[in-house]
Amino acid sequence: MIRNLSELYQYRALLLALSVRELKARYRASVLGFLWTFLNPTLNMLVYVLVFGVVMKSAVKNYPYYLFSGLLPWIYFSTSVGGGTSAISDRRDLLTKVRFPAQVLPATVVLTNLINFLLSLPLLLGLGFFFGVTPTWHLVFIVPLLIVQTFFTLAVTYLFAALNVAFRDLQHIVTNLLMMLFFLTPVLWDINSVPAMGSLTKEETQQLLLNFNPLASIMVGWRDIFVEQTAPHWQPLGTVAVISLILMWISTSVFESRREEFAELI
Amino acid sequence: MSAGKDAIVITNVVKSFKKRARSAEYTTFKSELVRLLTFKRRLIEPSTHIEALKGIDLRIPRGSTVGIVGRNGSGKSTLLKLLTGIYAPTSGTIDVHGRISALLELGAGFHPDFTGRENILINGIILGMARNDVKARMPEIIEFAELGDFIDEPVRTYSSGMFMRLAFAVATHVDPEVLIIDEILSVGDEHFARKSQAKMNEFRRAGKTIVLVTHDLGTVQSWCDTAAWIDGGRIRMHGRSEDVVKEYRRAVAAAEAEGEKTGHSALSQPGLALPATSPVVEEQPPVATVTAVRLKDGSGATPAEFLPAAPLHVEVDWTLREKAKTRFSLDLMSSDGRLVFSTSWDGGELSGSGTAKLQLARLGLGGGVYELLVSASGGDEPNKNPFRLALHVAPTEGVGLVRPELRWSL
Repeated sequence: MIRNLSELYQYRALLLALSVRELKARYRASVLGFLWTFLNPTLNMLVYVLVFGVVMKSAVKNYPYYLFSGLLPWIYFSTSVGGGTSAISDRRDLLTKVRFPAQVLPATVVLTNLINFLLSLPLLLGLGFFFGVTPTWHLVFIVPLLIVQTFFTLAVTYLFAALNVAFRDLQHIVTNLLMMLFFLTPVLWDINSVPAMGSLTKEETQQLLLNFNPLASIMVGWRDIFVEQTAPHWQPLGTVAVISLILMWISTSVFESRREEFAELI
Repeated sequence: MSAGKDAIVITNVVKSFKKRARSAEYTTFKSELVRLLTFKRRLIEPSTHIEALKGIDLRIPRGSTVGIVGRNGSGKSTLLKLLTGIYAPTSGTIDVHGRISALLELGAGFHPDFTGRENILINGIILGMARNDVKARMPEIIEFAELGDFIDEPVRTYSSGMFMRLAFAVATHVDPEVLIIDEILSVGDEHFARKSQAKMNEFRRAGKTIVLVTHDLGTVQSWCDTAAWIDGGRIRMHGRSEDVVKEYRRAVAAAEAEGEKTGHSALSQPGLALPATSPVVEEQPPVATVTAVRLKDGSGATPAEFLPAAPLHVEVDWTLREKAKTRFSLDLMSSDGRLVFSTSWDGGELSGSGTAKLQLARLGLGGGVYELLVSASGGDEPNKNPFRLALHVAPTEGVGLVRPELRWSL
């Protein structure tokens, strides 16, 4: 794991250059250009607000702001994993022609989306002003939370990117898994609105959701910062950090054991 | 540098690929559905291995130029990919000392929507240069690529020749210690091809190690110090490039002859080893050798640069192993490897050692660097091991290889 990540650091110039290029290329030929960075999540949010805020009348206060504060981190995670899965299998042109540390490719996808996420944060704060939410000093907790989420995202992306080389069905499976996970993660709904299910009490049900889905804890953390304006609870996030660390160890092991066949299989 | 004078050491390298005979290609949706519904397991075919390289041992000394020849499918490209680290060997080890740059395919990672300038930057970083290095070399690269104003246009608007020139320019400005080239010396038009040849010669003179894979046997012969012939995944021969090329040609000719006779030969199946050739006569050490060559102008001095109009005196020190009829010859090559002129002379029956002289009343060459190949042969032995040295000619008004005595008037 250490070797994999230090190699990534060693190639940071390449990582950065590829990410910048990715960002520039994404909107290069379009008329609105870089504005799409902001337009995409905004339009996405408006659709959900229409369905869940207006039609289904969510009980959450300032629902558009509430939704947006969860949607942005979710988009960061899902586009990273969705795009990162095929990051290696799609770059035959690079991997079979140049000596190249393969982990740069999935990392580039994650970094690109991280930058996109950071760029759209002002948009979220602006929306907050619109609803009368003034930012507090608790915004500093963005940093640790973002580190945990990035580490988790990178670990998942590594794993899928490595496995997808030999098992191309994975990229289609991942698309569907992400869709399911979206509804199982408190993005559209509030974790506190989850009712009691079966023999479990309300709290137990909520705890079960949080235990099974590291992203749920992360999402609750984002809501703590932006909506509740408190410091996120450190225990669940600490747990996610440990899970991410273990997952990263597994992912990099899988990655390292498979990297030799990348150039031959793609 | 740990390993002394070897730039590349390949020890017993085997590379095998899994060949997956996929039945999936022949299954249809219906048959797949039936198979799923009847819970039949897919027939797992034993995965077969293809040994592309079957144990390669090769040492490439620092600063030498090595040609790799062999027919299609013999494992040349696999070897190159192993050298560059794109593939990992199945067994055996490969040690490369020094920064390696591979021209396997030009323009890896070029993005069509980006300008030439942007692509130089990213391609340079991909090839292992630091960002600042690329920026510092940017003007040099742009000048070499000769793209003019197109450098700030998206690469997708380039003609294929422009694309290749740009890619070649970046790849050769990485400043590698070991350069690996796969069949790309003939980039662009006549003019650019010469320019890239000159660039390669510059690499050679700078003492870089070059590994070249090509089917152009003439290039190997004239340009490489040694050559390795890969046949059926093994090194069939490694030695002086002339010998290897000769032997390789003999084997191909033998296979073709066999094919004409029997209707099938090793040539009809890709990658199959060529038939063995009859042994050639044991090589003799040369009878005559050139031990030193001195260049002088008319006054007996050796200037750094010779004037086109000045005379040139060539003094050739020779030794003979035994008494023999000796023949001296001299080839003058331009920096892009073309023969400017050659001359040879019968020195008669000679023995021991001595000095032969060749006088040119007037040099008559255009400005630039030339290479002299001087050799001596005793008896019927072929010209071997020419003595090489560079000849610098001072630039004059006008360009070109020759500079006749001329006078303008009205």
